[in-house]
This record gives sequence, C-alpha cells and structure tokens, in this order.
Amino acid sequence: MFLFRRRPASLPESVARYLEAPRPDPALPWRDVPYSVMDVETTGLNPRRDALLAIGLIDIDEGRIRMDQRWYSLVRPPDDAPVNPEAIRVHGLLPQDVEHAPPLHEVVPTVLRRLTGRVLVVHVADVDIGFLRQAMRRLYGVEPRGPAIDTARLAWHFQRHQRLIDSSGSEQEPALHLRALAESVGLPVYPEHNAFNDALTTAQLFLAQVSMFEAHGMPRLRDLLRAGGCLR
Amino acid sequence: MDEIVRFLLEHPPFSQLPLIQIQRIASAVQIEYFGQGVQILTQGGKPASFLYLIRRGSVDLLRERDGVVELTDTLGEGECFGYVSLIRGKPPISTVRAHEATLCYLIPAALFHQLRRDYPSFAQFFARSITDRLEQALQQRHAAAAPELFQTRLRDLITEPLVAVSPDTTVREAARRMREAQASALIVDLPPYGVLDAGSGIVTDRDLRNRVVAEGLDYNTPIAQVMSAPAVTVPADSLVFEGLLKMIEHGVHHLPLSDSGQIIGVVSYRDFLRLQSHNPLLMPQRLVRARSDADLRAYTEQVTATVGGLLDAGARVSDIGRAVAAAHDALLVHIIRDAEAALGPPPCPYAWLVLGSEGRYEQTLRTDQDNALIYADNAPEGAEAYFEALAERVVEQLVRCGFPRCPGNVMATNPQWRQPRSVWQNYFRQWISVPSEEALLQTAIFFDLRPVYGTLDTEASLRPIILRARENRIFLGRLARAALRQTAPINFFRQLVLERRGDQRGVIDLKYRGTAMIVDLARLFALEAGVPDTNTIARLRKSANRSSLSETSAEELIAAFELIGLLRLRWQYQQLRQGLEPSNRVEVDKLTPLERRELKEALRAVAVAQRAVAVTFQTSLMA
Repeated sequence: MFLFRRRPASLPESVARYLEAPRPDPALPWRDVPYSVMDVETTGLNPRRDALLAIGLIDIDEGRIRMDQRWYSLVRPPDDAPVNPEAIRVHGLLPQDVEHAPPLHEVVPTVLRRLTGRVLVVHVADVDIGFLRQAMRRLYGVEPRGPAIDTARLAWHFQRHQRLIDSSGSEQEPALHLRALAESVGLPVYPEHNAFNDALTTAQLFLAQVSMFEAHGMPRLRDLLRAGGCLR
Repeated sequence: MDEIVRFLLEHPPFSQLPLIQIQRIASAVQIEYFGQGVQILTQGGKPASFLYLIRRGSVDLLRERDGVVELTDTLGEGECFGYVSLIRGKPPISTVRAHEATLCYLIPAALFHQLRRDYPSFAQFFARSITDRLEQALQQRHAAAAPELFQTRLRDLITEPLVAVSPDTTVREAARRMREAQASALIVDLPPYGVLDAGSGIVTDRDLRNRVVAEGLDYNTPIAQVMSAPAVTVPADSLVFEGLLKMIEHGVHHLPLSDSGQIIGVVSYRDFLRLQSHNPLLMPQRLVRARSDADLRAYTEQVTATVGGLLDAGARVSDIGRAVAAAHDALLVHIIRDAEAALGPPPCPYAWLVLGSEGRYEQTLRTDQDNALIYADNAPEGAEAYFEALAERVVEQLVRCGFPRCPGNVMATNPQWRQPRSVWQNYFRQWISVPSEEALLQTAIFFDLRPVYGTLDTEASLRPIILRARENRIFLGRLARAALRQTAPINFFRQLVLERRGDQRGVIDLKYRGTAMIVDLARLFALEAGVPDTNTIARLRKSANRSSLSETSAEELIAAFELIGLLRLRWQYQQLRQGLEPSNRVEVDKLTPLERRELKEALRAVAVAQRAVAVTFQTSLMA
C-alpha cells in the first residue's frame, strides 16, 4: 500500500496550491462561484480495484458553460489493471487507445490545477470523486477538498420535493441516470460515455437544476450545497 | 463538441461558413440555460456582449412603446438574437425573455465581429435581419430588381404633348395636328371640354392607317367616326406596372392619363418598351401572329418564363396573377375564335367561364383546366350539339397548350357544366338552399366564376343569385365552418405546426394550409358584405368594415396572402427550373430563417382571422 507514504511537505506545487486555495464563501450568489464539472471513464466501478482511463473537465463561470475552458485527457492505466470487456463495451476505450496516454501521476496534477479554487460538480459522486480520491491518496496521501456538488443528489432532492407536493406521484425509486435526467428537462444529449461529453451534459443538467432554484429567488452556493453537496 | 458543430452546420448563417470556422465557433461558445420567464436581455439595458443562438426552447421578444408592452416575435431553435445590440453597440431594442426553459449557445462579441468582417454573407444575414419585418420585407423586394416598373408613376412617362381636337374635326386636320405635335395619338374631346367622360375618345396612328386609309374613307370624315370611345384611361398616378396590365387587358397601345377627371396626357406602348425588357405586352402580339399548335405552345411557355421574370423583378404575386390571367385570357379568346371559325357562328348568345384560381385572377403557373359554358335559354335546335363541339375543340386545344384536363371533370365538355342560363341559376339556388358537403365544394369552385368570352351577361344572370346567399344565415354558417376546416398551422406560441409523419415530416402545404385558407375566408367575407368580386385581395379590401372583417384584419390578411403566395410561387418556380413537378409542399428547413419568420407572421394573421370567424359564426374550430 502507498497510503500515507508521501508527506504533504513534498507535494508538487499544483497539489499544494489546490489544497491551500480558500474555500468559496457559501453566502455567495451561485453565479459568482466558479465551478468545474468533471466526468471520468474507468475500467470498472470500484475505485480500489479499477483504473482511470479518461478524465473530462469543463468550467462554469458566471453561470455560463465555457467551451473555451474544456479539458480532456486519456490516462494510461497501470500494467496490472484489470481488462473488463463489460466496461469496454460502455466507454469503447481499448487497451491500445490508452497505451500511449500519460500515466495517472502526470494527469492528476493538471486536474488539480484546473480544480483549484473551483467547486467540483459531478454526476454520482461515489464514482467520480471516488476515483479522484483514490488517485490522490495513492499519489500524495491527501484527500480531495470540498465543497463539491452531485447533480444526481440534486435530482433526488427535487424528486423528493415533488413527491411531498404531489402525494399522488409515483413511489418508485427515481431514475438518476444522466441521460434520462437531461432529457427530462429538455436538454440535448451528447453521445454518452465519453468523459468530455458526459461532463458537458452534467454541466447543462446542473444549470437546468439551478434554474429550478431560481424560480424561488436567486440561490446562494449554500442552497446548492444543502441540496446536493457531497464533499466537506 | 461534435454535437455543437453539427448543430451549427444545420443552421444559417453558420452553415455557410467553412468547417474550420464552425469548429472554431464550437470551441469558443459559452452555454447558458434560462428558466421559463427569465429575462435574458433588457430593452434599453446593458448592451449584449454575446450573440445568442437558441439550441433548445424559445424566447419572446417584447417591445415597450408608450408604456404598452407588445410581443413582437417569438424565436425558436436555431434562431439568433442580440445582434442588433451587438452590431450597434447600443442597448437592446427589445427585451428578450425565455418563453420556456431555453438553452442557448453564446458566441462572444469579438468572434462575432471578426466573422462579420471576414465573411460578407455572414454579415449580410444579420444586417438584413435587422429590418425584416413583414411589410418592410415586401417593400424591399419591390425596390429590388425592377424599380422602374414598380416605382415609376405613369405621369412621369409622358413625352408627347397632349393633342385634343373636337369631334367634328376632319381626319385630315387631325392627322396634320398630330404631325405638327409629333404625337402618335390624339384625344377627341366632347363637351363639356377638358373633362373625361364616356364620350371622350382616342385616335392613334394605327387607327388612321387601319380605319381611314385602308378603308378608303373620305379625308373629310369627322374624326368622331373613327375614334375609339370611350377611351380606356388610367389615373396618372398609377404605377407603370398597372398601366401595363391595363394595356394587356384591353389590347390597346395608348393610354390617356386622367387626373381628377382631366386628361393630362397619353402614354404609349413604346414608352413602356423604353423602360424595361421583360415585357408581358410582347405576349399578346406574339399570339396574334400565332398560326400553329406549336406557336400556341410556345406562347404558353413564354408566359411561364415571364412569370419567372416578374418574380425576379420583384412583382407581387397578385400582379403576376393579373398579368398571367390577361395572357391566358388572350390565349383562350384566340382558341375560342378559332373554334367558332371552324364551326360557324354560335346559334345563340353564350359565355365561356373560367373558375377557381383562374376565375380569381390568381393563376400563376399553368394548372388544370377549370371551365364551364353557359348559353341563352330557348336556344334554337342544334345549339346543344354546337356547344358540345365547341367545348371539345377548346378543351382539346388547351390540353395541347399545356393545360391538363380537370381530374374532377369540371370542364365545359362535361354536359353538367354546359347548360342554359336557367339551369345554371337553379344549380346556384340549390347549392345555397341545401348546403350539403357536396354543395359547399361546388360553391368554392363556381362562386369564383369569371366570363372570358361571349356575349351572354353572366354577371347579370348569375351574380345576383350568388349574392343573395348572404341572406341565408344557415348557408353562411356552413360556409364559415367549411372555411375553418383547415386551421392555420401555427400554435399559440407562434411555432409552425409541421407534418410529423413519414416522408411528409417537416413539410408545410402552402396551398391547403396557406393561401387556400385565405381564399376561403375572403369568399365568406365577400358574400357577407355583398361584394361581387372574385379576386381574393379585392374581396378582402372591399369587404373590410362591411362584413365581420375589420380593416386591420383585412390588411393583415392581404399581406399574408401576398407573402404566402410569394413563398409558394418561388418554391414552385425553383422546382420547375430543376425540372421537377411543382409542389405546394414546402420543406420548412429549406426556407431561410427570414422567410420562416415572415411565414409565421402571415400564418398568425390567418389564425387570428379564423378565430374571429369562429366567434362571429358560432362555429366550433374543433368541429
């Protein structure tokens, strides 16, 4: 186990800056907060066992998704990473596609540099943040910093509210699938299971969700975190 | 990325840019989501710093004038806003509000300006959009290619001095006066002098040649004996195009111009020729020389070609319809005279009727024949056989000229539609008193009748019966309901309602769900007001304020009729040029956003008028 092998004192500069950046004030109007939306493709769903294959990031500034601030990278998995045909069918990334990609320890500093000072937004934190956490622990022995927002959790928040208001509503477990959620609010859906496209779809879903808060007045970061926050 | 590129590729003016620029835009856009009711831009507020392209949803444009907020437009997927403010660098002229949840691609100002600089067509798209409201668009077109035809007043064409003589002047003296003044025509004025009345006549160079010299008349003959009276005159302020139509209709080459009842001058055919080259007047001349089937065929081809010329020249569809009607009428008269020459003189008075779009002066491209024949009651023995033979010849000749037979057999060759006056009168009475489905279908064709040839006075025989239908509320109610059977394909949100099935997807039928709806409404209003005209625009104009049709609504419907007609005719003409069968089904995708927006405005006017009819006549729109 590499856990806690590296000390914070010897951290790369980008990682140190990431950890030192002040947290945004939760009282800020949501638009005044910079966000970065992330999606990952992996060899499986278990962060301890499976490896990262691709990471996509896109920023949101002043409430607008910035296509000019998007980022995507393939990641070369460790040689002993499992090859999972099931996962390949989902993301379509073959071993030869990632053979010459930069390894995780080269990619993560860049990711952290882009995330510095921003609120991370993901869809289903267990997976995306789980893999980021695992990578940061292994490489630097540190934890990702909050706050972060999970659009799946936001969706669940709205669905629960809807059920309180509309008692006749279905008792079924709500569908939290990204594509289904995006379509349910009338968003165009980009081809799925590409880390960048899914980050973009998540970003659009996030804006649509925030606009539901806006119907009841301008939300602050605090309101979003209360409904969908997922990282201290 | 690819998805954004694909979207840009589908929407003008982006679609016309090189792929590399489209990719550049896709990687520079920002994406913003606006909940329903969110104000995106504010009239008089902060200038826009992006060009907004709607990816999903729709927005309302609202403009405040004198404290009244007016919804001026609704834009949908693929349409842009914010450019007026961007181009002028000034506060927005409209407030833009999300009509529903809306996702927009935002193109940064710097990139927008650079694209405008580098790609003139891109710049032009937005420059044009700034002034593209319905009426402005129509005006613009008129000023386009042939300004002389549509902007010049006839009075500005007068080159010859006015020569007026009294009726007892001798032809020799008249000719001398013409020579002195170098005039090709003179006005014969009867008392009271200087005032245009039924007794005023005109004599031209040609009259002196044909009626005096060729006939060997005494040169001391009073001029009144050889003049044409009453002279066909037009108001001096008419447009050149209107004068041209008048000449075609009456087959004359000189037009005295009147101003407040006074004749102020004469313009000639030659003055017109000097002005422009696409001259529909050349067509009747050609017809006179026509001898063979091939000549007639060539003549009809020429008419179709002229439609294209007029279209390019920026003529209104209604003007084109009148020009084509005049040209086709001339052909029809030529054909009927040929038939009479072969069969001998008719045994009794009769009239050849044209129906439907021809009857309304609204035929533009050649369509199926719709005609009928009416002859006097108490006709002599053998009259029926004569008219049968005549109808066969005429219909056959029309087919050879490129006018297919009517699939519904509404033609003079059908004995049902070749009847004496009293039978026709009974047809109309029957349709009006028992307005069955069948009867309503017939009225849509036969109420729009127009005699083209013959001496029987159809207007006196049939029109009064038709107009009496206004007293029959049941008939009017049924007619109103029939007029609402097709509803304007636009929804409450000003979105076009398109076909969603199979190969008709994204298509709109600009006849059945366009011009025909307005034709039906106009027929209803005209009947309600007792207006005898058959032309849709004349019906609307004359029925305003005399029926349930308001003046504003009439003007809107007229503008809508011109506009939808123009889109339809342009579409059809384009298909003809490509060697296709012209169709009324227009693929909305292939219209420019400008045309789409105009179409929306026009259909909205139709929808409003239809709702008013539903209320007035207590019909249910759903029925």
